Amino acid sequence: MRKRVILTFPPAVVHMPVTYRLAKDFNIASNILRAQVAPDEVGKLVLELSGDIDQIEAALGWMRDQGIGVSLMGHEIAIDENLCVHCGLCTGVCPTGALSLQPETFLLQFRRTKCIVCEQCIPVCPVEAISINL
Amino acid sequence: MPSIAEINDRIRKGTVRVMTTCELKQAVAERGVERVAEHVDVITTGTFEPMESSGIVLNLGHTDPPIRLHKATLNGVDAYCGIGAVDLYLGAAQAGEDLNYGGGHVIAALVAGKSVQFRATGMVSDCFPRRSFDTQITLNSVNQCYLFNPRNAYQNFIVGVNGGDRPLYTYLGTLQARLGNAIYASPGALSPLINDPQLKSIGIGTRIFLGGGVGYIAWEGTQHFPLQKRMPNETPIGPAATLALIGDLKQMAPRWVRGCRFHNYGPSLMLGVGIPLPVTDPSVVFAASVLDRDVVAPVIDFAIPRRVRPSFGLVTYEQLKSGHITIEGQRIRTAPLASIAFSMQVAQELQNWIRSGRFELTEPVAPLPLERNFLAQDQTILR
Repeated sequence: MRKRVILTFPPAVVHMPVTYRLAKDFNIASNILRAQVAPDEVGKLVLELSGDIDQIEAALGWMRDQGIGVSLMGHEIAIDENLCVHCGLCTGVCPTGALSLQPETFLLQFRRTKCIVCEQCIPVCPVEAISINL
Repeated sequence: MPSIAEINDRIRKGTVRVMTTCELKQAVAERGVERVAEHVDVITTGTFEPMESSGIVLNLGHTDPPIRLHKATLNGVDAYCGIGAVDLYLGAAQAGEDLNYGGGHVIAALVAGKSVQFRATGMVSDCFPRRSFDTQITLNSVNQCYLFNPRNAYQNFIVGVNGGDRPLYTYLGTLQARLGNAIYASPGALSPLINDPQLKSIGIGTRIFLGGGVGYIAWEGTQHFPLQKRMPNETPIGPAATLALIGDLKQMAPRWVRGCRFHNYGPSLMLGVGIPLPVTDPSVVFAASVLDRDVVAPVIDFAIPRRVRPSFGLVTYEQLKSGHITIEGQRIRTAPLASIAFSMQVAQELQNWIRSGRFELTEPVAPLPLERNFLAQDQTILR
């Protein structure tokens, strides 16, 4: 299964090689979606974890034991099909190519797995068809 | 080749042969202009793009006691009342209390059958004693309500980029700093007037698809500039001809009339416009067979906020639609502002109307001018 989490590192645990431990101890592949880490500061890491469901639960418990704040990413980008006119303006600001136009039909396609929820598309959409789904 | 009257006979008999401009381009690539011209009577073109130079004329109906409108708002958006007592004009780009809601949204709400808050003060006289009037209106509760758009259906446009170091919020959407993206606004070779570059098949009085209803070409549009430089295939290398369009809002459909707004710029209206081109001569087929690789637009740097902005040269619509262009060695992603998907659907919808006999073609009443200069306002005093 896949799960998206937001990790908050107190300054004391910023040095810990978390993604290595997730892979080594829990057999979890972690894809870093967003990261803000600096020495002796609170760090933030947005990860997509993929692995066995029990292993992911165990890993989340282990990270909490280490003092890492774990919150599940409940929100994701939602596109209202009744409002979208497929103009494609959002594809000009999407940094990962999650939003793109199909080459033949020029219909908007949204690949959720590529989305890092940066939210830049929300104000750009001229017909306000894009929102954050809480 | 048939005359327009003969094409209309075929529409009435149900034998008319209609191709969308996409179908035509493909057919010409396979079979050539002459063969295709023998087998098509009408080519349908369409576009769906923001057209901020749009608006409605609305007649409220007289109140009792009567009012002569002095100031009026619809859902908080100012309308112009300096016409008849209960006539007003509401522009699509007029902003309400903030930049996120404006005339385009009000127009779309009316088309969608929603009620709109109407508030007005009156200019008191012996004829019109009333001082104020507040009500809810819908499209059905007012007399006339028609779109009358001073500038629509631009024949080509520009591509916007931003060579500066901060994001710019423009009528083309958000342009990211340091050439972060490029935005183009025309559907290129699909665009109605690109398919008739010298305006031979259309004119004043031409019946068209406007917002899902029937409309007409009323006049040349504002900033109509047919003298723009042109390619050997006669398509212009930048913004050129424009049209003023008119049509009954009461016939229109919410799918093709959408209020919109550009972040930190303001409101506008996205509108579907479809124009039929009668094939009265093989040259009509030849002109409409133009492809994206043969139509170009200038890449303009919006970081310089002057009337004449620097250009990075010309790119083709084939490059633009591929998702990337290269400027000064830098690969830049492109995004359209016109909906290419909806543009194709407008052409298909008009094709269906003609095939089903719902829509007949018209002879233009007068040609559109081909000689118009593009004047700038330089505050010179003429004596």
